[in-house]
Amino acid sequence: MSRPGPAQIGHFDSDTIRRGALACLPLLPSTIIFGAVLGVLASQRGLSLGELLFMSLTVFAGSAQFVSVDLWRETIPAATIIVATAVINMRYILIGASLRPVFKGRPLWVKICGMHMVADENWAVSMTQENLANPGFLLGGGIFLGVVWAAGNMIGYLLGGGIPDPEVYALDFAFTAVFAALTIGMWKGKVDLLPWVAAAIGSIIGHYTLPGTWSILAGAGAGVVTAALTWRPDMDDDSLEAEIAVEGRDAYGAPEGTGTTATLSPEAGK
Amino acid sequence: MNQFPDLTSFSLEAVLTILGMAAVTYGMRLGGLLMADRLPQHGRWAHVLERLPGAVLISVWVPSALSAGAIGIAGAAATVITMALARNLFAAMAVGMVLVGLGRYFIS
Repeated sequence: MSRPGPAQIGHFDSDTIRRGALACLPLLPSTIIFGAVLGVLASQRGLSLGELLFMSLTVFAGSAQFVSVDLWRETIPAATIIVATAVINMRYILIGASLRPVFKGRPLWVKICGMHMVADENWAVSMTQENLANPGFLLGGGIFLGVVWAAGNMIGYLLGGGIPDPEVYALDFAFTAVFAALTIGMWKGKVDLLPWVAAAIGSIIGHYTLPGTWSILAGAGAGVVTAALTWRPDMDDDSLEAEIAVEGRDAYGAPEGTGTTATLSPEAGK
Repeated sequence: MNQFPDLTSFSLEAVLTILGMAAVTYGMRLGGLLMADRLPQHGRWAHVLERLPGAVLISVWVPSALSAGAIGIAGAAATVITMALARNLFAAMAVGMVLVGLGRYFIS
């Protein structure tokens, strides 16, 4: 349980930042194209390029920006836009919470600096690192995505159109694919099974019954409730160990099976 | 398109709206982390917190695969299977995206 080197070196070590940026490289084409699509939309809705870039680097949340720019008018419906942003980005409360092990034992200023450039993509990539990523890795991915996103915005805004339809090259599917693939890396053993099934069912039900991105919260909620209900005290040693261990996936794997046997039915979302 | 857009034109209204958006978003990002810090390090809450990333991730992509229709579901399945077998993010994404791209080209 000694923790040698890597995971605990510097808060924002430059080599780690570089590795985090490289890890997000597969997302470059899709991010730039979607950034460009947003740029075109923004030019039609009357945002200046400066305002768009300012938004991309301060808000830094793709789906919320699309909805907000779409709502943008000559007289800006500020309240509507801010409320919509809050609703769409509510998942970041959960994403932030799940980053606890990444920031474990780090001072508050590191959390304050490290939590801004957190998008779904670099979060997911960081959470699935073999050696649980440190804040620098997360930040590296965030900076990379931010630069690419802003570059895409600029290209789209200046061209004002003529951007290839992302659907033609399945670039829209890149985000689905990266999240689906990274899910495999988050598997820590049989304890995950019921919460994951519940999350899938909850999000499917949410998808068909709720507007917008509420399905994310429905699925995550179902997963959380199921995880809470399936927990048993004899799992405790494992989770303690998992919190301490830095070797992410390896440390979780082995002995967890015992506690999971069907205590109760999966509590799917309704 | 003829003239370079003015990078420096910022209306006060727009800036305030954007700052509002940024504040709520960053507030939730940091707030989630700080709240989790206050939760117990072991026991039920720690267990729930460890299941959280997988649950969020699944809830992000399952609905978007459904939105992409039958080919989206097939593409997501192919991605997951490739990742489970090859453990390679590039390969898994490529398989899913090529399948979806071809499917859209030939089927619809």
